[in-house]
Amino acid sequence: MYDLVIIGSGPAGYVSAIRAGQMGLKTAIIEKNVIGGMCLNWGCIPSKAIMESAKLFDRIANDSNRFGIDGIDKKAISFNWNKAVKRSDGIVKKLTTGVGFLLKKNGIEVIEGEAKILSANSVYVSNRTIETKHIMIATGSKSPEVMSSIEAFVLEPTQLFKEREMPQNIVVLGETPTAIELAQAFNMMGKNVSIVVPTESVMPFADQYLVDHILAKLKKDRIKMVFNQNFDNIDSIYKEGKLTFGEEQVDCDLVVNSKRRIAIVPSSEIAIDLDEKGYIAVDENCETNVKGIFAVGDVNGMSYYAHVGSAQGMHVVNFIQGIQQKLDLKKYPLNMYTVPEAAQIGYTEAEIKAQGIEYKVSEFPMSANGKALTEGHNEGFVRILSETKYGEVLGVQILAPNATDMIAEAAAYMEMEATVYDVAQTVHAHPTISEVFMEAGFEAVDKAIHK
Amino acid sequence: MKYIFKFPDIGEGLDEGIIVAWLIKKGQAVKVGDALVTMETDKVVTDIPAPKDGIISNTFGKVGETIHVGEALVEIELEGIEGAQAQDENLKVEAVEEEGAGVVGTLEIAGNNAVLSASTEGVVAENSSKLLNRKALATPVARAMAKDLGVDINSVKGSGPAGRVMKEDIINFSKQKSNYSQAPKSGVSLTENSAEVEVVQMSQIRKTIAKNMIQSKHNAAHMTLFEEVEISELDRVRAKFKKPFADKGAKLTYLAFVIKAVALSLKKFKALNAEMDMEKGIMIYKHFYNIGIAVDTDKGLVVPVIRNADKISIFEIALKISEFSEKARLGQITLDDMKDGSFTITSYGSIGGLFAVPVINYPQAGILGVGRITQQPVVKDGQLAVGTVMPLSLSVDHRIADGGETARFINQVMAYLAEPVSLIMD
Repeated sequence: MYDLVIIGSGPAGYVSAIRAGQMGLKTAIIEKNVIGGMCLNWGCIPSKAIMESAKLFDRIANDSNRFGIDGIDKKAISFNWNKAVKRSDGIVKKLTTGVGFLLKKNGIEVIEGEAKILSANSVYVSNRTIETKHIMIATGSKSPEVMSSIEAFVLEPTQLFKEREMPQNIVVLGETPTAIELAQAFNMMGKNVSIVVPTESVMPFADQYLVDHILAKLKKDRIKMVFNQNFDNIDSIYKEGKLTFGEEQVDCDLVVNSKRRIAIVPSSEIAIDLDEKGYIAVDENCETNVKGIFAVGDVNGMSYYAHVGSAQGMHVVNFIQGIQQKLDLKKYPLNMYTVPEAAQIGYTEAEIKAQGIEYKVSEFPMSANGKALTEGHNEGFVRILSETKYGEVLGVQILAPNATDMIAEAAAYMEMEATVYDVAQTVHAHPTISEVFMEAGFEAVDKAIHK
Repeated sequence: MKYIFKFPDIGEGLDEGIIVAWLIKKGQAVKVGDALVTMETDKVVTDIPAPKDGIISNTFGKVGETIHVGEALVEIELEGIEGAQAQDENLKVEAVEEEGAGVVGTLEIAGNNAVLSASTEGVVAENSSKLLNRKALATPVARAMAKDLGVDINSVKGSGPAGRVMKEDIINFSKQKSNYSQAPKSGVSLTENSAEVEVVQMSQIRKTIAKNMIQSKHNAAHMTLFEEVEISELDRVRAKFKKPFADKGAKLTYLAFVIKAVALSLKKFKALNAEMDMEKGIMIYKHFYNIGIAVDTDKGLVVPVIRNADKISIFEIALKISEFSEKARLGQITLDDMKDGSFTITSYGSIGGLFAVPVINYPQAGILGVGRITQQPVVKDGQLAVGTVMPLSLSVDHRIADGGETARFINQVMAYLAEPVSLIMD
């Protein structure tokens, strides 16, 4: 009898498994593919590795001369996709090996195969039935399928970061931050990129202020945007290297599917309720309608972030051990690996308005920050939304080259229910980009120094 | 070097007092402990002693004025302390005051045995102020919010990591608080003045009575014994001595005899004159017999104490009763008058009521209730006769006194009352 059987070894599953092992729970983790799941193998990590190659290429091509480096001939350099993928593979291998080691070290049994839930206390996998006190579903998500009669014409993210010939005209599908990230990366490699969005805007969870800045940046990058186009078969709109949307046409040699992801629901002999969008329905402790069966990470549809999945998983492990805590998604950062990076935490301005809270917006621009200027990154801002009475930090949005790291500071403020006075009193070293945060704090309390 | 002496927290939970009389004048030299001013509070009239040696350089407030705790009373020119040293002295005193310790130590306060007990209150205040000094783990927003809503953040249970008090905890706490004060029924607010109800703030004396009653009911195991004693003989003796006593300024009441009878009986049954400290695991048997008498005043109950009732004469007891009645009427009973009681008598019978279940004046072991004396048919020597009957209700703390001891004690009291001459025989 196991204490906990986890289905799926992505960041929600494997982190929970390690935590459970540390707490002395007899734990097994079932993986049908490779340890680490989407994030480590085909998502977060490879995309960041490729993005770094693209950024470096872009800098060498476009910034060398300005930064004082002679002898770079823009026409003589080119982006080698396959070499970039090789480098990425090396990183992935190192990380997945690391995860495997950690699972072993913490006494977790790793079972290969596809799981089937038999009851609240048993799971079938690889010709054996495993008895367990608790089940954690961490099976993740996948892109909704987009059909094409041409082979390898539409790539799912799992297939993208492989060695191949990359064509010139790339169309990225989706409203997600990942779609924008991939589009910008391809763009920096010198590709001709279009984004086809099923909705009327992008980045559904982001504050409109961030969205507006990103849309402006995409325009500046000459990435073509086509909105309100949703389809699950490409054949009817594709003809001779072009996608046609009414009167609009975009060049297309390859489609990358980065649409909003849908749940991968494991097979089950007992009824586990789904919500109207097909995600597994859970309560505030991520427990499903079946007592003792939990669903964490993308599969419950609350978020598509690895760190949120991990946090939910650890919450569940604590929960089954009787440790009561509160899961508050508003205290988890939302990272968007656009260029420049966008990050936010807490409530958006629209959400604050809807709650009728009196609030103050305090913003400080990157363009007034010395370190940002020396690095040649003057786009962006730190924006703090605070409640007027006590000055509580309600939400933070950052657009900066390292926004996804800078948001950690805001996460600490949110976690500790800090006020803008605490932000302003926290001394930030000079010269750093993080100083912008302190200046926004000054602005919130009174007036920024360097504005 | 001048030192401003502020009206101290005298450990009674009082926040103000009225100046009754100044006992010193400007320019007068005082020593530590010298009475400076007589203050009347809700409870008592008491003298405030000087905290330091020196010369009075100023007094604040006229007779009849209300002074709040913490407001300046007198300015003392300290002797022999000048310059920097003087400043140090001042800093030292200020520091003490900031800790909230007040100057309780310089005031003698009522013992445990008075109904208006003061010392336990003082102790509690000190402990809780220590607790308050321990800073609760809380988020900045929770702190700001608690301050704003008047919530004592140290009394809020935190739900955050490591018991951190979060914003939500403060919101819930203040909601709960407001729920308590809401009208329980009917939907009509009973906490505001209206045609239906009159709402007044509780006086300090009422608060103290309430607290002591609950403390007693909470801590002591009450057991009550009822008896009747025939007192025709006592009645005769009292009638005989009433006039001579009155001529010497003492009203001879039945109570004087009861006090004497109780005091002498306590000497024989020590458990009834004891108290128990369960925390320390000790019994305290007292060799003094100080009998508190419950006196009804228009402000509420006070319990002045007749000291050494076993040693003094019935005349002296009667005199003391008269004195206390008069002082109580004028609101002049002092903390000193109420301290160190070892047993209490409540004589409600003069107003009404045959039997009652008196509430022990905690931590004493017992309280004797004296009911209305009536003429009743009694059997004497096999003959029906008209007797004078005094009903007695004795409540004891059953933790301290067992049933047998209690019954034997009341038998002894009854024996003294039935045969008053025996009061001078033991």
